[in-house]
Amino acid sequence: MAEFLQALAQGLLIGSTYGLLALGMGLVYGVSGVVNFSHGDFISLGMFMCLALYSAFAMDPYVSLIITVPVMTVIGGLVYWYLLRPMVGHQFLMVVQLTLGLSLVLQNGILMVFGGQPARTPSVVESKLLILGDVVVRVPHVIAFVVSFAMAIGLYIMLRSTDFGRSIRAVHQNAHSAALMGIDVSRVQTLTFALGIGILAIAAALLLPGTPIQPAQGLRYTVITLIVVALGGMTNFVGIMLGGLIIGLSEAYGTIYLSDTLGMLLPYGIFVLIMLFRPQGLTWSSSR
Amino acid sequence: MLEIDHLVTGYGGVPVLHDVSLTLSAGEIVGLLGANNAGKTTLINSLSGMYAPMSGRIRFEGQDVTAMTPKQRVEIGIIQVPEGRLVFPEMSVRENLLLGGINARARAHRPRQMDHVLELFPRLKERLGQNAGTLSGGEQQMLAIGRGLMAEAKLLMLDEPSLGLSPLFVQYIFGIIDRLHAEGLSILLIEQNLNLTLRHAQRCYVLERGKVAVEGTSDVVKDDPRTRRAYLGL
Repeated sequence: MAEFLQALAQGLLIGSTYGLLALGMGLVYGVSGVVNFSHGDFISLGMFMCLALYSAFAMDPYVSLIITVPVMTVIGGLVYWYLLRPMVGHQFLMVVQLTLGLSLVLQNGILMVFGGQPARTPSVVESKLLILGDVVVRVPHVIAFVVSFAMAIGLYIMLRSTDFGRSIRAVHQNAHSAALMGIDVSRVQTLTFALGIGILAIAAALLLPGTPIQPAQGLRYTVITLIVVALGGMTNFVGIMLGGLIIGLSEAYGTIYLSDTLGMLLPYGIFVLIMLFRPQGLTWSSSR
Repeated sequence: MLEIDHLVTGYGGVPVLHDVSLTLSAGEIVGLLGANNAGKTTLINSLSGMYAPMSGRIRFEGQDVTAMTPKQRVEIGIIQVPEGRLVFPEMSVRENLLLGGINARARAHRPRQMDHVLELFPRLKERLGQNAGTLSGGEQQMLAIGRGLMAEAKLLMLDEPSLGLSPLFVQYIFGIIDRLHAEGLSILLIEQNLNLTLRHAQRCYVLERGKVAVEGTSDVVKDDPRTRRAYLGL
C-alpha cells in the first residue's frame, strides 16, 4: 500500500510538469499548426543553460530562471519569425523537417559546448524530503507540481480574460476572421511560440534537480510531450493536464511494479491503448 | 471617401479582377452585384488588404492605402463583415464583440460601442454569455455586424449578409442596414439578392468575370439589360 501511494504521489508530481511541457506545444499547434519536433531539445537547452550558469556563478537552477526565461523566450520568438513563419501555411511536412533539423542542430550544439558525459546541476532543495505518513516525496517534485499547476491556471486565465489571450484563441478558431478584426496573425503566432519556449525554460528548471542530463535526451522529452498532447486532444487545456498526469502515473507505477526498463515502456503502451479506443483524445467534448 | 482606381488583383499570378474602378462617397450605400465567381469577395478582400494588388491604387479618405497591411486598414476604419459571418464559434457573444473592437483605435471605446451594439441588437444582449457557435444563422449575422460596429467602422463592407437567412431575418438585417445608413455610416453591400440590393443602395456596380459590367444609380442599373445578363451568366 505504501508503495502504491508513493508511486501515486510521484506520478502526479512529475506528471503535472509533463502537462506543462505539453501546454506549450498545444498552444503553438493551436495557433500556427506547427508540431515542434525540437520541443525536447529546447528543454535540453534550458537545462544546459542552467548548468552553465551553475558552473560559472554557482547559481541555483530556480534562480537561473530570471536569465533563462527571457533568453529562451527571445530565442523562441526569433526562431519562429525567421525560420518557421516563412513555411507556416504551406507544407506541413516542410515544417516538420525544419523542426527535426533544428533538433539536430540544438543537440549537437549542446554536445559541442558541454561534451557528451552526463552532468548534474545541484540545487539547495535537491536532497530535501517531505514525509507524509508512509509517503516520502522530494521537495523539488513538490515545487514542480505547485509551479506547473500555477502556470497552467495562469495561462488559462490569460487566455480567457486578456486581449492577448483572446487574440490567441481567435487565431486558433479562425485565422482569417482574426485578421479581419485587425489582429496581426503572424505576430500572435510568433509571440505564442516565444511563450511556449519560455514555458519550457521554466519546465527545464523544474525537472532539473536530481536529474542527470545529457545532450541526446531531447527526443525523449519530445516524445513524452507529443504523447501528452495527443492524449489531451491537441488544444484542450484540461485534457492536456490530465494526459500529463496519466503519463507521469504510468511511468511511476511502471518503474515500481515492473522493471526499470519495462517501466519506461509502460506510458507508451498505455498511449497506444488509449489511442486505439479513443482516437479523439481523452476528453469528452467532440469539438476540435 | 473610397476610390478604387484600375485595380488588378489575382492569385498566383492569374488576375481575378481586371481593371476595376469604383468610388463610394461618405454616407452612401453602394451595392456590389454579380453572379458567383464574378470577383465580389476578391474585391472586398483586396480592400481589407488580404492580397497585394498586381496593379492599381486604393485610396481611402484621401490617403493611399494600397500598401497597408490588413491591421492598418482596420485601424483607419475599413471593416469587413465576411461572407458566412465567421464568428468565433467557441467564444461567447461578449468575447466576439470585444474582439471586434480590439484594434488600437477602437479599444478604448469598447464599453460605449458595446452599449450601442446591444441597443441595436437586443437579441444579442440576451445571449451575451452564450457561445457564438450555438446561435442561429440570423443571430450570428447580427453578431458579425455588431463585431464590425465594435471596430468603429467608417466604411462597413457587408459580404452577403442575407446568405442562408429566413425572409424575416433578411428583412430585419436590411432594416438595420437602413438604420446604420441613417446614422451616417458608409456601406459597401455585396449581395446576390438583386432586387433587395437595388432597393436599398443608392448606386450599384455589377461585376461580371472580374470586370465592371454596369454601374450607376440603382434605377439605371435596374433597367440596364446587361445587369440581368451578367447575373444569369449568359
